[in-house]
Amino acid sequence: MKMRKTDLGVVAFMYLVCAYFYSQTITFKADSQTYPKFTIILLFALTTLYLLQMVVAAKKHGVESGVKEVFKDFQPAQFFVCLLGAILYVVLMHFFGFYISTVIFMAAVLLYLRVPALYTVIAIVAIVALVYFAFGKFLGVRLPVGTVIKALR
Amino acid sequence: MLETLGLMGAGFINALTPINLLMMAGGVAMGIIIGCMPGLSAAMGVALMLPLTFTMKAETGLIVLGAIYCGAIFGGSISAILIHTPGTPASAATAIEGYQMTLRGKAGKALFTACYASFWGGLLSCISLYFFAPLLAQLTLKFRSAEYFWLSIFGLTIIAGVSGKSIVKGLISGAFGLLLSTIGLDPVTGAKRVMFGQAYFAEGINTTCALIGLFSMSQVFILAEKKITARAQATKFTDKMSLTRDERKLIRPTIVRSWLIGNIIGILPGAGAAIACFLGYNTSKQFSKHKEMFGKGSIEGVAGSEAANNAVTGGSLIPTLTLGIPGESVTAVLMGGLVIQGLAPGPELFGKYAPMTYTFFAGFVLVQFFMLGIGLLGCRGFAQISRLSDAILIPCVTVLCCVGSYAIHKNILDIVVMMTFGVIGYLMRKFDLNTAAVVLALILGPIGEKGLRNALKSSGGNPAILFSSVVCWVLIGLCIVGILSPIFMAKLEAKAEKEAVAGTEEDVEKLTEEDSV
Repeated sequence: MKMRKTDLGVVAFMYLVCAYFYSQTITFKADSQTYPKFTIILLFALTTLYLLQMVVAAKKHGVESGVKEVFKDFQPAQFFVCLLGAILYVVLMHFFGFYISTVIFMAAVLLYLRVPALYTVIAIVAIVALVYFAFGKFLGVRLPVGTVIKALR
Repeated sequence: MLETLGLMGAGFINALTPINLLMMAGGVAMGIIIGCMPGLSAAMGVALMLPLTFTMKAETGLIVLGAIYCGAIFGGSISAILIHTPGTPASAATAIEGYQMTLRGKAGKALFTACYASFWGGLLSCISLYFFAPLLAQLTLKFRSAEYFWLSIFGLTIIAGVSGKSIVKGLISGAFGLLLSTIGLDPVTGAKRVMFGQAYFAEGINTTCALIGLFSMSQVFILAEKKITARAQATKFTDKMSLTRDERKLIRPTIVRSWLIGNIIGILPGAGAAIACFLGYNTSKQFSKHKEMFGKGSIEGVAGSEAANNAVTGGSLIPTLTLGIPGESVTAVLMGGLVIQGLAPGPELFGKYAPMTYTFFAGFVLVQFFMLGIGLLGCRGFAQISRLSDAILIPCVTVLCCVGSYAIHKNILDIVVMMTFGVIGYLMRKFDLNTAAVVLALILGPIGEKGLRNALKSSGGNPAILFSSVVCWVLIGLCIVGILSPIFMAKLEAKAEKEAVAGTEEDVEKLTEEDSV
């Protein structure tokens, strides 16, 4: 199997994690350092082993980008809209509470994904009802009210 | 002996309360819905429903999770039979014969066979759960700190190689998870460690949020990155959902063989339902007196695959509940549910918490009956649900992930952590890292740390204590086996899959020739 350049990102990320945790670990009391150091060494050693495997693979079978294989059929616009939508949903929830933000988020995403209006309405009503009864009534969870709504009250 | 029988009886009495029965029915239905939708997995379903079990009694919560697990494994067969798309990898072999039966107008018979075989596979697997689990749990009584350290490492080596293509990448995932488990206060001295300046992280990373993020939210991102296309229409079937007396007699030996295969595969950490279904299918073909039916829609093929994958459920609970070593992602999530309820796998479950454990076991037995009933009655409806578009699933699952994470501590930061783990999980899956290993490391990390530090403390810092007992050496040996087992399992799966596909292709060719004649 060819070495994938994309895996270099995995290796770099793991080394960065090791470096960050090591920089933090040396500030702990001696007793508290034992286990974090053990796990850092373990992660570092395994990452280095993987890097060596990659070098061997590159020499034996050559190198490929890996981007095509990893992101096959990737729809960037759709993916980032959904990702940003999810992040905005959490932000909206903080300000406007669960129910308002859920309706806005679901309507926006469903419309963007071209779900027919009738199904959009059914999906929103079903999810809001499910959460209301399962979490609100059955579990007694007080869902976020939102800072703006709180202030308006 | 009498005491155990008493506990078993009491377990059934406790499991038969109205609330438990209601939860079993709800869990099975939810599991079947999740299982029959291609794109959603059993692990994802169990993770998503985990927060709903927090306020329940431990046994009720575990029964719900067990019901979702069993329902999802069976549910995968519905879409496999009707639209030739396995809802879960565990039903991949069912699609071979099941869809052929559908094409021949025998979808009802195929679904009945799947349901009937799943029921018996699951039910018989409970026998080994009842008898082997307490025995194995007794073994852990001999464990001291050093052994617990090695046990945590063994658990990680086992799960690290399960789903990924590279064992080293699986191990890297486990080590990454172990490092994340050091976030928060030191479990021994209480000193502050990596907390990113937030008191929120004092108790470490919330395992449930990590679970939901790694299994459920990451799946949303996986669905969102692909072009959304309409699912194939589920075949509307008109034939009767039943088997004749002769047909039932025909599949009986197949079910027994597949039960044994599935059960052993389930007990073996590192193997899973996806391997069991192909082994069950191949064995049914080898022993069949009607080999000519394979590839044309053999009920023995469907029964062999379905009995084996459901027999895995009971078997896989044995190492999970006794040693704390889940063999696959679903049982890793289930173990998360157990830990969140404040329970630890091991002898305590069969001593101090025996009534709870035996109630769960009894519930697990009863769940199989619900699976049979709900499966048979609701097949037509579930078939329609399996067509639900990813476009609708994406926002719905996102909302459920957020609410589920929030419900734990009623803190919006939990949603942020879940979302972060969702992105981490997505990237891990893209780069063939193992999300189940991270979850297990988050659970086993503190156990391993306490074991290591207490062992070193008792020996005055001498690491030789980690190699001082026979049990330690056995566990070290098992760690090595654990690292090497994925190579063997991958070969076994590839061989079974190749044999199943090759055999079927030959049969289809013969069939085409016959048809053309």
